[in-house]
Amino acid sequence: MLSARGLTKHFGGVVVADSLDIDLNPGEIVALIGPNGAGKTTLFNMLTGFVRPDAGSIVFDGQRVEKLPSHQRARLGLARTWQRPRLFESLSLVDNLMIADRDYPGERLIEMVFRPQHVLDCEEKGRERAERLLDRIGLGARAEGRSTRLSYGQQKLVGLARALMNDGRCILLDEPMAGVEGRTVETMKTVVRDEAAAGKAVCIVEHNIGFIRDICDRAIFMFNGRIVAEGSVHDLLADKRLTALYFGSHS
Amino acid sequence: MIEFLLTLAILAGINVLLACGFNLILGYGGLVSVAQPVFYAIGAYSSALLSMKLGLPVPLAMVLGALIAAIASFGLSLPSLRVSGDYLVIASMGFQLGIIHIINNVEFTGAASGLSGIVSAIESPWRSQIYAGTIIAICAVTILAIRWLVTGPYGRAITAMRNDEEVFASLGRDAVHIKVTLFAVGSGIAGLAGGLYAHYFLFLTPDQYGIFSSATLLTMVVVGGAATVRGPVLGAIFLTVLPEAIRFLNLPIAVMAPLQGVIFTGLVILFLFVKPEGLFGSKSGGGLDAWQSRAMSSSMRKGAK
Amino acid sequence: MDLTLDLAAQLTWTGLASSSSYCLFALAFALVLKVNRIWNFAQAGLMVVAYFAMFIAFRWLGLSPLPGAILGAITTILAAMALEYWGFRILRQRNSSVLTFFIFTIAMSQFLIYMAELIFGTDPKTLFPSIIAPVRFVGPVVVSDWDLIALSLTVTLVGALWLFLRKTREGKALIAVSDEPDLAEMYGMNKDRAYLVSMALAAILMSAGMYLIGTKAAIFPSTPLSQFMIFAVIATIIGGIGNIFAAGIAGIFLALLQSYSILVIASKWQILLLYILIFVVIILFPQGVKLKLGKRGPARKAGQLPPADDVAEKAS
Repeated sequence: MLSARGLTKHFGGVVVADSLDIDLNPGEIVALIGPNGAGKTTLFNMLTGFVRPDAGSIVFDGQRVEKLPSHQRARLGLARTWQRPRLFESLSLVDNLMIADRDYPGERLIEMVFRPQHVLDCEEKGRERAERLLDRIGLGARAEGRSTRLSYGQQKLVGLARALMNDGRCILLDEPMAGVEGRTVETMKTVVRDEAAAGKAVCIVEHNIGFIRDICDRAIFMFNGRIVAEGSVHDLLADKRLTALYFGSHS
Repeated sequence: MIEFLLTLAILAGINVLLACGFNLILGYGGLVSVAQPVFYAIGAYSSALLSMKLGLPVPLAMVLGALIAAIASFGLSLPSLRVSGDYLVIASMGFQLGIIHIINNVEFTGAASGLSGIVSAIESPWRSQIYAGTIIAICAVTILAIRWLVTGPYGRAITAMRNDEEVFASLGRDAVHIKVTLFAVGSGIAGLAGGLYAHYFLFLTPDQYGIFSSATLLTMVVVGGAATVRGPVLGAIFLTVLPEAIRFLNLPIAVMAPLQGVIFTGLVILFLFVKPEGLFGSKSGGGLDAWQSRAMSSSMRKGAK
Repeated sequence: MDLTLDLAAQLTWTGLASSSSYCLFALAFALVLKVNRIWNFAQAGLMVVAYFAMFIAFRWLGLSPLPGAILGAITTILAAMALEYWGFRILRQRNSSVLTFFIFTIAMSQFLIYMAELIFGTDPKTLFPSIIAPVRFVGPVVVSDWDLIALSLTVTLVGALWLFLRKTREGKALIAVSDEPDLAEMYGMNKDRAYLVSMALAAILMSAGMYLIGTKAAIFPSTPLSQFMIFAVIATIIGGIGNIFAAGIAGIFLALLQSYSILVIASKWQILLLYILIFVVIILFPQGVKLKLGKRGPARKAGQLPPADDVAEKAS
């Protein structure tokens, strides 16, 4: 599905990604763990085209993508979320989601002028899909409202739903649980599990160990820009050496 | 007196078109360009020369002038926007000064002494009345078209792009494509305004399209309210009429032009600090701060407080 | 024109001498971009202030060169600091968009140019009634007193700037703030003070440059905007944004290029070369372009700070 080899990135003299290999498979939820500064978000940014790697290749769905700009990778079906929700504050929730439709018609001015009916039909379909997704995260009733009225956790859910609107085959979640509390926790888990069950490849950067234990199949441990261990979630979490690395760097 | 008022209305209409086109670029596209007068010039000179040298009918020449201006905009937008939006402002200065310099120095355009003998659009005793009516109609259609553009699905994309360009890209949307398109549409409208000017006033000089013109258009958009539909329209009308009031003071031209410049740019600076959303913009929609600062989005700002 | 060795030597010398003011303008622009993180297009307006302050000093008050130039520099310093204090600082506090900064700086330049036109008229002016400098031959090359003054003044100022930035506490604070403003503040350096100091330094460089310009040729109030500042911006970009002295060197390089171009381009089209150069630079030097104005400081790029995950997201 998504397969990267030898991704390397230097910022000046510091190596923030050192020859990283990663494979994401359909239906599998992979956790990317490690202390802050390990290079997890940089890896996400390289995969989605926001940071250009100095070396390495990325194959997505059988196609080399490391040279493509971010929006083209997204259009191939590579979706992501951000540490902060980063919703479009001037738009309603349903509009937030509609923007993320892979074949969003509103961007093509010529089509809007010459095939207005087609554009309207696409809009209609997009709106329905967006409303269904909002229902799934329990915010269907708030579809026309602005994101600023929502709790932080709810905003994160909308951010997830917006990424799902892409309906691609791979999704990267950057700390989906950070700042999420209460009922939204269960919703988040359910939605992510369902997506994997539907055959998507999911990769999660997360510090919430309970969440990882609950839903992830495999884990990759990063430290100082390197992948230092890879295996089942249970094994990695039981590894005393990794625990020391993880917590050692926090102090 | 009637003739004076009609001419004023025609000038106001042309300025409305220019300001609306510039607003698409500056307000909606978030692209700081000072080169809007150049596309006005390209439209004016193309249309005038096409009708003079090739004998094309005036309306066709005007449409072609607008198209040429739109196409010329790619020469500025593609190199600078593909790399980084930050460069557009300086590239636009070079583009403007360079094109004006060329117009000033080639015989073909009448050089510094100006282009005269332009074909009039209509010959009729009611020339000014018909022209004013036509321009008002064209303005109305343009304003409606812009409203359609910025409120529909395309407008949704523009709003999202302004809120957070990076997330916008991560969702598969191509911001550069939108910006280049807005730039071309805005420049095309300026080109049309140029043609309308040329075939009524029948005389063009390169001086009309320099930094004074840039400052005037910037004032119309910022004072009226960037990224709103009605702001630039009202701003353009207001700032076309205002200098006429100064004209009654009977100052020499060497004083008039700089004085207007001082007033216009002074207004821009004043509004940036006192009322950045413009006279006709609201705090929530439109205005320059609809563009989030790149370094920090508003949710972070809230967290910091 | 045929290129002979003598001609080449003359063009090099003249280009070098006239590059002095371009070098100073480029340093000023690059300094403010690095420290204040602002594309200060109001620089053209400050150059106008410098020019006409000196114009008043020399032509109206009849001061001799040194006191007149000092008066001009002080006026420019005050104007530059006022711009930072009542302009940039407030916009920064409001977290204004890049768009607002661009419009503000450009409108400011235009405003000051129109002010100058209103007060002094639109015709070109020199700083002194007579601008003929004595010349002598050094071998085949004509060397004027102006050339010597220009080069020595520039070398002195560049050297002083270098020493100030490397050796003094104030100068080091400037670099620290430019690299990482929040971090520098944590270590007790005053950001706002550094911003004011950099504006003042830029003002000195600009005044010196304008003095040299005005003792050699007549300029319009709009020339600083339409030529000098554009020159400075191109030099800053070529120099790789964030490297002040490289911008100065790029300024010299550009002036030499312009000097040689007389051989191939009619003087009428000389200035067009400058405008075309902008596009050439943007297309050919995209690496200078990558560094946007944002939280991503040059220090991070140079790897002096470890990139943390959260920082990476902020910067990306």
